[in-house]
Amino acid sequence: MLLPRIYAPARAVIALSKASRSTIIRSSHALDALRFANAPFLSPTLTIVRNASHQSQGRANGAKDGPGKRLGAKKTGEEYVIPGNIIFKQRGTVWFPGENCAMGRDHTIYATESGYVKYYRDPVKHPKRQYIGVAFKRHESLPYPSNAARRRRLNMLATQVEPEPELQVGIPEGDIVVGEKIASESTVRAQPRAKAGSQLLMGKNYAYREANWQIGRAAERAGVKVREFVRGDRFRAWRKSAARKAANAERRGLRAKKRK
Amino acid sequence: MTAGKQAVRPLNTCLRCIRQPASSNVSLPAAPSRFFSSSTRNSEEAQLQKSDQFSDLDPRLVDNKRDEKRLIKTGVLPIGSRRRRAALRTAPDIPFEQLPYQCFQEARKVLQEDRQEKIRQIEVIRKRIANLESQDAAVGGETGVKEGRLRSMRNHLEELKIFADVNDPIVKKRFEDGEGDMNKPIYRYLADRKWRQHKRMVLMQRVTQMNLVPDVLPKIDPVADVDLAFGRRNVQPGEIVDSRVSEMVPRLRVQVFDKGERLVTVVVVDADVPVPEKDMFTYRCHFIASNIPLSPTNTSVALSRLDPKVDVSKEAPPKHIALPWSPPWANKGAPYHRLAVFVLQQAEGEIVDTAKVAKNTKRDGFILRSFMDKHNLKTVGITMFRTQWDEGMAGVMERAGLGDQVNVVFKRKRVEKLPYKKKDPSRYH
Repeated sequence: MLLPRIYAPARAVIALSKASRSTIIRSSHALDALRFANAPFLSPTLTIVRNASHQSQGRANGAKDGPGKRLGAKKTGEEYVIPGNIIFKQRGTVWFPGENCAMGRDHTIYATESGYVKYYRDPVKHPKRQYIGVAFKRHESLPYPSNAARRRRLNMLATQVEPEPELQVGIPEGDIVVGEKIASESTVRAQPRAKAGSQLLMGKNYAYREANWQIGRAAERAGVKVREFVRGDRFRAWRKSAARKAANAERRGLRAKKRK
Repeated sequence: MTAGKQAVRPLNTCLRCIRQPASSNVSLPAAPSRFFSSSTRNSEEAQLQKSDQFSDLDPRLVDNKRDEKRLIKTGVLPIGSRRRRAALRTAPDIPFEQLPYQCFQEARKVLQEDRQEKIRQIEVIRKRIANLESQDAAVGGETGVKEGRLRSMRNHLEELKIFADVNDPIVKKRFEDGEGDMNKPIYRYLADRKWRQHKRMVLMQRVTQMNLVPDVLPKIDPVADVDLAFGRRNVQPGEIVDSRVSEMVPRLRVQVFDKGERLVTVVVVDADVPVPEKDMFTYRCHFIASNIPLSPTNTSVALSRLDPKVDVSKEAPPKHIALPWSPPWANKGAPYHRLAVFVLQQAEGEIVDTAKVAKNTKRDGFILRSFMDKHNLKTVGITMFRTQWDEGMAGVMERAGLGDQVNVVFKRKRVEKLPYKKKDPSRYH
């Protein structure tokens, strides 16, 4: 450490001594020479600055005072909690989630069942960890015995639900003709049985929807028949186009009203 | 298989790289001479029409799809996997003693010497066991000491029996081909080791992760391999099974790895029966069958065929089935049900009275722990599956006489908020 610091002044001393031997009285001690060389009045070209060896600003000395993070226990032992209640906020896992508790993204311990908060250790699970749990009854102590059946709550209600009615399909008007809906019992059923809700599948976007083939069969299921297209039937074509125009005009009128 | 055929096989393999031959198993002179053509020759196609050409297809050796189809058409099913058949085709079927590898033969000699040594040791220890057994108990001191020594010697004897054969390449081959005789200790040992290496680990993971261990029994250490199947559908441990599939009585294959006959009881328990009135879960027993004989070679337990229907006039109590199969069911909206299948070994020489069991056992609220204590049973095997509401469940419930449960739907209970207490406003000044 010391040696490099000495080099520069020493070099200066040597240079000086070479340049003006007459002005400097030779000393037998190197340190004397150094002191001599460091004297400011002797050489205006040689300026020595003492730099800071320790950062004085910023984080170097530790942020002295930030906002408090409101960590710590939010519920004491034996306190009643419901699912979702935060019991403990912490940095890292000072406490671990035990019985009927879970840990959040930032290591927050929260309750998953309603009950009474218990702070405890479980040497069977881990010898060093401390746990926070929720006991169902206040007098119970945690951990529960490891070989006994788990205590669990259903947290559900049994409700009577009416069986879902058959799909009612509106009868379309105009050119569409409605055919016979139900075939007689002796005949083989041509259409697949329409069961509302039973054949919904999870689609790409996490939404339940009918399969494409089922959608394609919807008209068939409803017994919808479209009159066959006859080439050159100008009267029908005129009727359809007139109906379309009327519908468009109506729609346009609605839009205009909305704007006002 | 002629030698000529064998000799040209590598050539045939090369040809196959260029183009799939018309039939790799039929006689070779018909192999194509046009190497760079990828189309079939008309004459070849014409030849293929003749059915007697496929008469020499070997069910052990066919290794392509087309040949398999032809073989199946003639009414013979190919044996083993296609991979195995292909391997057999390329490997010449020479016995180990005649394999022309010097190092291999030298190694076999060393192993055989070692085997002779082990056999000598077995003889010695057998004599010593016989001597000790014939000795008076009072000579060696306490009786416990003598029994302990005998036990350790017998264990050592079993160990030696396995050491004698475990390095034998023929034993290894036979085991891998599935031709091992489970009456012999070495094959039982190999099968046990194989089971423990993967299958048992998966099973134990499912059993512990789905909490069967504290919920149904305090601890489980399975020693038998149990496979569950409904009809032809195999079920992996913990799989969610369609209700229409699990409506039929399952089939078990229980492989035990220790020698001897024993009687077992099979119990199927549902560990997740909801009780909305008490806001908790309880158990339900779906099946109990007792006194089923089992041995290392007798592994199949077809639960549906246990008690063949005898004429009603006799009215003899059923020999095996105490509680007949009731199909597993779950309400709509309820969490999945875990159904554990237990294979419980009965104590030596004890027979469970099925009529009594049927009378005393209630299906709802069935506790397996006390049932096992009462009948002196020990767990040997376990497997599990799950069930939940699905399309066919309503029909299954109707058929099982649970029509009133079809429209019961479980919904989450709303949790009451805790009352909000306003904090003292002075603390904010």
